[in-house]
Amino acid sequence: MNPVLRWFHQLGSPPYFDRFAARWAPWCYGLGALAMAWGVYGALFQVPADYQQGDSFRILYIHVPCAWMSMAVFALMAVYAAIALVWRIKLCEILAMACAPAGAAFTVATLATGSIWGKPMWGTWWDWDPRLTTELILLFLYLGVIGLYHAIDDRRQAARAAGLLAVVGIVLLPVIHYSVTWWNSLHQGQTISLFGESKMDPSMLPPLWWMVLGTHVWFVGSLLARARADNLRREAGKDWAAQAAGAAS
Amino acid sequence: MSYRNYVIAAYAVFAAMLLWDYLAPKLQLSQALRAIRLQYRRDAARRKPGAQA
Amino acid sequence: MTPGLRASAAALLARDLRLVWRRRGDALQPALFALLVVVLFALAAGGEREALARHAAAVLWLAVLLAGLLALDSLFRGDAEDGSLEQWLLAPVPLPWLVAVRVFGHWLTTSLPLLLAVPLLGELLFLPRAQLPVLMLSLLLGTPLLGLLGAVVAALTVGMRRAGILVALLALPLYVPVLVFGAGSVAAAAQGLDAGGALLLLGAGLAAALVLAPLAAAAALRIAHN
Repeated sequence: MNPVLRWFHQLGSPPYFDRFAARWAPWCYGLGALAMAWGVYGALFQVPADYQQGDSFRILYIHVPCAWMSMAVFALMAVYAAIALVWRIKLCEILAMACAPAGAAFTVATLATGSIWGKPMWGTWWDWDPRLTTELILLFLYLGVIGLYHAIDDRRQAARAAGLLAVVGIVLLPVIHYSVTWWNSLHQGQTISLFGESKMDPSMLPPLWWMVLGTHVWFVGSLLARARADNLRREAGKDWAAQAAGAAS
Repeated sequence: MSYRNYVIAAYAVFAAMLLWDYLAPKLQLSQALRAIRLQYRRDAARRKPGAQA
Repeated sequence: MTPGLRASAAALLARDLRLVWRRRGDALQPALFALLVVVLFALAAGGEREALARHAAAVLWLAVLLAGLLALDSLFRGDAEDGSLEQWLLAPVPLPWLVAVRVFGHWLTTSLPLLLAVPLLGELLFLPRAQLPVLMLSLLLGTPLLGLLGAVVAALTVGMRRAGILVALLALPLYVPVLVFGAGSVAAAAQGLDAGGALLLLGAGLAAALVLAPLAAAAALRIAHN
């Protein structure tokens, strides 16, 4: 059998995944943190202040990666959920549900950093701007998935129900964004995007790419760690789990 | 206008979020492992009544 | 002799209507709730004609949406409790078809009385007469759409004892586009713009939901039962 295919099959085995996640999560956390540290250093100390926005635009270097992560993680969650619904692969159920809390955290960070950036820039903590509003609804979608997953007792049923919601959510997300954009133009005359197009000089971009890389790698670590915990919870009665916990030998 | 406080606040929020994202799974993991150990002890006691302290 | 689509639809619809007829007081509850929202809004806002008229269409849309949300509980709960839902899963007719018929019956008994009440409620809020036709059309397109989307949420939470806030949380992202285009169409008309675009989008959403929502809800019901 193709070694890559074999590795995929092995990964589906709970004890193998436990070992895999235990091994790689710390690396992902560590390398992600390093990349982010380098990006933050660049964002705070290397890049000169923007002539228009002063120092506050440095918030962009965390706001934008968080926003991208909030979307990307939801898409990944929906993909895992779709695979889990169609092929009933237990690991994909676990991975889908493990995406949700981290994705929600990135969404909260996006909203918070956006709000903090908006206050000095546009004088307001909040605006019903299409992007902010869509991000808020995205947060509700995440909370809905998490809430549904925890509301059902049977873990596999819960994961599949919450996964279905995630798939419905990803299909509707463009519709939601479009509807809010239309509504915004209707009620505020012309769309004044709160985070308007500020053409960034290419020399200012490297810290952004480091932050994007760092958040992605960090997320993989978070995904593996949460998936590992969920995996152990589900397989609690098994012998391999007892061995992994150090209870039996 | 000093933007410094805003920048610090934003980066602090980001750092706090990452910290939570690191600690929460760690906590879940240790709770899961602990639950497995306790369950194993209970099952072992049930198999050999009174043999385990 | 297995029943065909028409026969099963007729049977299910007749059953649902008969059951509602036996508790016909309950069918007025959504309309009553909408009345409550309207009255409380008027009282909270001060009852002044200008202020109420400006927001009348939006408040009416909101009242209809919230009343529908409350009524969602009765969509599957009765059948989930007495085991009829499991019979649905075993039925020779496609599950999405039964879901679609159920949603239609539910719309007839909860949303239709609501729609009939809207003009009167509009009078309470001094809704400008010119806005009424667009409002009614948007509600006519929007309420079945809300019902279909709500069916997916109800199917995901069927059998949960205290689903309350979870239903609202799950429904909100799905309802936002409907509310936006529905209330927005009236707002556009009020500003002198063409409401046609928004109404067409509602119609398109309804057409898509008529096909997709029963499929999703059926999938959710199957998940809930095994």
